[in-house]
Amino acid sequence: MSTPEKNVKCKDVAPLLVFYACDEISESERELIEAHLANCKACSEQLSEEKELQAALTSVPQTADEVDASGILLSQCRSELEEALDDLSAPPLQEHWRPFGWLRRWMALRPAWAGALLVFLGVLAGTQVVPWLQNSSGRNASGQAMNVRARQPLTPDQLSGMQISGVNFLPTQGSDSPNVQLQLNAEQPMVLSGNVEDSDMRYVLTYVVKNGDRFDAGTRLDCMDALKAATRDEQVRAALVNAARNDQNPAVRIKAVESLRDAAGEDDVRQMLLDALEHDSNPGVRVEAVNLLVGSLDREAPEAGPSSPDGPVVVPTPEPGDDASLERVVRVLQQLQRRDPNRYVRLRSAAALRQIGPREVQ
Amino acid sequence: MPLPRWVLALADDNGCSGSTNAALTAVTSLPNLDERALVAEAQAGSRAAFEELVRRYDRDVLRLALNLMKRPEDARDVYQESFLKVYRNLHRFRFECSFYTWLYRIVTNVCLDHLRRRQARPEDQAPETNTGHHDEGITDFFERQREHRPTLDPERSLMGQEIKARIARAMERLSPRERVVFEMKHYQGLKLRAIGDMLGTTEETVKNSLFRATRKLRNELGGLR
Repeated sequence: MSTPEKNVKCKDVAPLLVFYACDEISESERELIEAHLANCKACSEQLSEEKELQAALTSVPQTADEVDASGILLSQCRSELEEALDDLSAPPLQEHWRPFGWLRRWMALRPAWAGALLVFLGVLAGTQVVPWLQNSSGRNASGQAMNVRARQPLTPDQLSGMQISGVNFLPTQGSDSPNVQLQLNAEQPMVLSGNVEDSDMRYVLTYVVKNGDRFDAGTRLDCMDALKAATRDEQVRAALVNAARNDQNPAVRIKAVESLRDAAGEDDVRQMLLDALEHDSNPGVRVEAVNLLVGSLDREAPEAGPSSPDGPVVVPTPEPGDDASLERVVRVLQQLQRRDPNRYVRLRSAAALRQIGPREVQ
Repeated sequence: MPLPRWVLALADDNGCSGSTNAALTAVTSLPNLDERALVAEAQAGSRAAFEELVRRYDRDVLRLALNLMKRPEDARDVYQESFLKVYRNLHRFRFECSFYTWLYRIVTNVCLDHLRRRQARPEDQAPETNTGHHDEGITDFFERQREHRPTLDPERSLMGQEIKARIARAMERLSPRERVVFEMKHYQGLKLRAIGDMLGTTEETVKNSLFRATRKLRNELGGLR
């Protein structure tokens, strides 16, 4: 026996006895243990206890022996495994794609909840979606976020306190007169929209032109632009004539003159044009006035001619007032031809006089 | 009417092969193949080869599961879950160890999972605990054994009943891993190195587990002699 074998102590051998008893040690360990056991009674007894314990543990009938001695459980297990393997091997069901299939399954399994959900969706659609769609379609058709029609005419008090923050022209179909939208800051902000043929709208626009000193030039220009389609109305025409005579802003006066183009043959308008030609210091106003005057004379001239193209020229019998008016026109034009500082005005006046001259001869 | 496959397998186990049924012929021809060839066949998609592998090892698998889980329904779950895992993962098996080792690795892992889950639920303990109901079950079992084996010594049977109950209680003190190691060493007869391979650990670790298990059992069963 070698020296190391003699020095092996019980505390070294004891932990190995468990494995010695079940034959799980190496050869070298076995030699050491057996050499020690030959001289150590305590370790030999411990080994005996270890073997007895293991024998007792292994001698007890095992659960497997008790439960499945006949093999029935094994057969059942095999059968169940077969079925599971069949399921695994089966080709997957070729289900057609079904939109919202999960929702249908959910509803089928929970009929009460499904009914409640459907009722909720119906209420939601009725109270929210339909009005929203109506608003949406209305907005798309007119382009107006809010459309307040002034059914009641604005009172003088409202007009006196009114401010206009915006004038918009809306496209119209089949009508020469535009739709106008006025954004008013009266007692409460409102949007007044409508056609210039509408008396309320025309009333407000005329009020702006009449009281031009209360509104900015841009607003006055826009209102005049809108009113030029309504110059048949005497109040409108009077307001425009007044603005052409008295507005401080030459551009507004020019716009007022231009707005009266369709009414240039009216006496009050013609008088305004002649006054402007004689007294307005702004050449632009005079140019616009002479153009309107010549234009109105042009429109009057064919009235005699085309009525009987093959016969003698019939000149309508002038009324007493017409003579006076025409005399003034000629006189003013002659003055302009000679004295107006604007060359264009002089040329246009000369041309107008040539046009009027033959008529005077006739 | 064709017989179920498991019946064919049982017939095959009992040596009753030789039927003219084509399926039976296919099944009974497979036992002649060695394990490697069977695994290769199964990996190639042969259901019959896989079933043959199952029949070769499923007795041991069920035995291990029953001994560890104690309850037949749990053992059936382990059996099914284990072989389905094998079926699904057979293509990953690379012959780096024996199929038997690979199979047992799966089975022991499934058992450990079940045991750990059971340990986490105290109300779901195995039937062999120290309860009145458990004792009745043990008594019934030994009563049945006595009827079946009338020559057995009644006194010895009674002593065995007591020892068995104590051992069962002592086994409950072991951790899942210690129980698996002890079961595989003493009841399955496996070497510690093989147990280490199956559990995916070293032989030293398995030795430690076995040592702790034995010490616990000795403490619990001190007066067993």
